[in-house]
Amino acid sequence: MPESELWITRIFNDYLPGLGNRALELVGMHPEPRPWADFVVMQIVVVVSLMVVFAVLRRRLSPDRPGGLQHTFEMFYEFVRGQAEGQIGHEGTRYVVFFGTIFIFILTCNLIGLVPAFESPTGNPSVTCGCAIATFLYYNLLGVQTHGLKYILHFMGPKWWLAPLMFPIEIVSHIARPLSLTIRLYANMFAGEQVTLVFLRMTYFLVPVVFMGLHVFVGAVQAYIFMLLTMSYVGGSVAHEH
Amino acid sequence: MKKLFTLLALMLLASSLLCAQTPGSAAAVPLLSNAFAMAIASGLCGLAQGKAIASAVEGMARNPGAAGAIQLAMLIGLAFVESLALYTLLIVFLGK
Repeated sequence: MPESELWITRIFNDYLPGLGNRALELVGMHPEPRPWADFVVMQIVVVVSLMVVFAVLRRRLSPDRPGGLQHTFEMFYEFVRGQAEGQIGHEGTRYVVFFGTIFIFILTCNLIGLVPAFESPTGNPSVTCGCAIATFLYYNLLGVQTHGLKYILHFMGPKWWLAPLMFPIEIVSHIARPLSLTIRLYANMFAGEQVTLVFLRMTYFLVPVVFMGLHVFVGAVQAYIFMLLTMSYVGGSVAHEH
Repeated sequence: MKKLFTLLALMLLASSLLCAQTPGSAAAVPLLSNAFAMAIASGLCGLAQGKAIASAVEGMARNPGAAGAIQLAMLIGLAFVESLALYTLLIVFLGK
């Protein structure tokens, strides 16, 4: 079945199929005639546009006369840092880099689907799974970095004789975390898209705009929840008890 | 409690009626089960969200100064419960 492509994906597939196939071969997959998928190209678009915005911001940073862009990003930064300090405590400021990146990346990915001729990369489970695995690796590696090999004691529970019971429970609960992060973000974006399409099929004019407005709100809230849960997991793994 | 038992008895009766269908109509079973699954998920999700909003509004009425924090907590809680109903919708869409 010929699948429809976005105009950018068509440009990538027409002019750069060799690059896509080389990337596929790097991970051991077979080369295909049109290797670039919609969500891959959309992620590249999001990353490039964010880098352009931040490059422009960097040149315009000024302590004396801050412009509108600087105010906006100061607001973002204060928000993320305030949340991190609320969740993790005083050390939260060290990890604001990752939290801010996740928040802004997922927020932009969610919102770019509303622009005509673009598609939300987070409407594909592979993208959300990537973000969830990044979070999983980040908080576990931070735990190992903070506690050394004693990080494994976190999975053992409060008493030593509870360890054989607690260890499988903790492992299952830790595996459920990236799974729930993936499915939550994917289902919210996918359902928002489908609901808009269903209403577009029923009433051909103007009514789906209401659902697109709801999708803006839902996208922002889901990006915030992803960041909040990341902070909560990082807080749990770097916590210094007693 | 009696209402719950009545509801359960009616559901069992309905499922026995479903099993008495002729084999040709087996293709409609996924559609029916999808509808029931979504109805149960949405109904329970509605109850849970109603409880969350009720306590949030009562908290805001008792302590208007904390209204901002309560509103934020309410929105986060609503988003979590909404996700649970959306998992069921995902299964419905993936099953088709």
